[in-house]
Amino acid sequence: MQLELVTLLGEKFNEPVYEVMIPTASGEIAVFPGHEPLISIAMPGVLSVRRQKIDDDEHLEYFAISGGVIEVSGKRVRILVDEADAAPDIIEAESRAALEAAMQLRDNAKSQMELEKATRLIDRHAVRLKVAGLRRHHRR
Amino acid sequence: MPTSIRSLRSRIRSVSSTKQITRAMQMVAASKMRRAEEADTASAPYVESASEILTYLASQGATEGHPLFAKRPVKSRLIILVASDKGLAGAYNNNLMKRYLEELKKDDTNKIKNSTITIGRRAAQFATRLKDTAVIAVYQDLPDRPAGNELRAILDTAVAKFNSGEVDDVDVIYTAFNSTISQEVRLIHLLPAGFTETPVSEEVREAEYEPNIQDVLNSVVYRIVGAQLFQALLDARASEYAMRMMAMKNATDNADGLVDDLTLEMNKARQGAITQELAEISGGVEAMK
Repeated sequence: MQLELVTLLGEKFNEPVYEVMIPTASGEIAVFPGHEPLISIAMPGVLSVRRQKIDDDEHLEYFAISGGVIEVSGKRVRILVDEADAAPDIIEAESRAALEAAMQLRDNAKSQMELEKATRLIDRHAVRLKVAGLRRHHRR
Repeated sequence: MPTSIRSLRSRIRSVSSTKQITRAMQMVAASKMRRAEEADTASAPYVESASEILTYLASQGATEGHPLFAKRPVKSRLIILVASDKGLAGAYNNNLMKRYLEELKKDDTNKIKNSTITIGRRAAQFATRLKDTAVIAVYQDLPDRPAGNELRAILDTAVAKFNSGEVDDVDVIYTAFNSTISQEVRLIHLLPAGFTETPVSEEVREAEYEPNIQDVLNSVVYRIVGAQLFQALLDARASEYAMRMMAMKNATDNADGLVDDLTLEMNKARQGAITQELAEISGGVEAMK
């Protein structure tokens, strides 16, 4: 089964995988080869990828994704995503700093628009931090 | 005339150093243009997939009655004007402003209220001085590849104004990139939403839609409108660099010509001085005979 992470800046990931776990509006779904055709909405969160059937949970790969549209057919999972970052590309300290900055922004927000912007930033950095944490956990 | 030779020599020096600067700017613009051009084509698979889903949903009648597809009589229009932060790009900003003024005049005669979101410092400087339009947001110093957050801020403002009925039409004025030597100012309609009909595959037709068609539609429409805006921003950047490259190439060529002319003039002056000196010497010898 081919997993394609497509962003506006081009393909972020396009490789064969065995299983993908995607955060959606109605909870996390796991997609295996031969899944029924499905079109759904991805939520900001952690996308986990198992490359081969024999890989255990220690070898999962993680991506931090913002929202997107999921397109599943039997042979392919394509996710149109606004942003996707692989775990190794995320610097934990940077994310933590950004998260704190975003929280400060939320506390000082003066308008509804600023508040929304801050909330979105918090979501984004919280997800990235989580992905970075998962990777560190596995390395031990 | 040694003074004129000296002043010519210093002019040649200053023109040559200007030439070095314009040549450097030309090369910087050329490499940035190439990168912008690459990014320009990268969003094609994304747009294609989204258009496919949208085409199918539209064929099922799902887009009817959707707020972002609502066609209303236009009483108020929002223009997103995409210009550059810096000058020295030939007619890039001038062409945009000319088109923008035409649109403002059109709105004025049709009694349509106009508001503007400006992108780029030049656009802000220009639009804030006009009284035919209300500038509601100003964006400056966007990166060459605007990331999700910056793009969404602009998009959300436009979508919110459209949804609330405050504006009935959202257009983008930008410079489309055809090739290195050809760019043109273009106006595209962002809202009410539109899309290119795309062949629908079996999978998309057979697929189950979760949680429901309406939610998927919301999510896809928002993204395709965003992609159109993103594409316009990338195109504008590629055009800006292409035009700056041409402007700087012309400046470099001009400087070359000027150096040649000045060198010729200097040589003439020097030769004149030598000839005069010789004439004086031979004149002196003649007189002593």
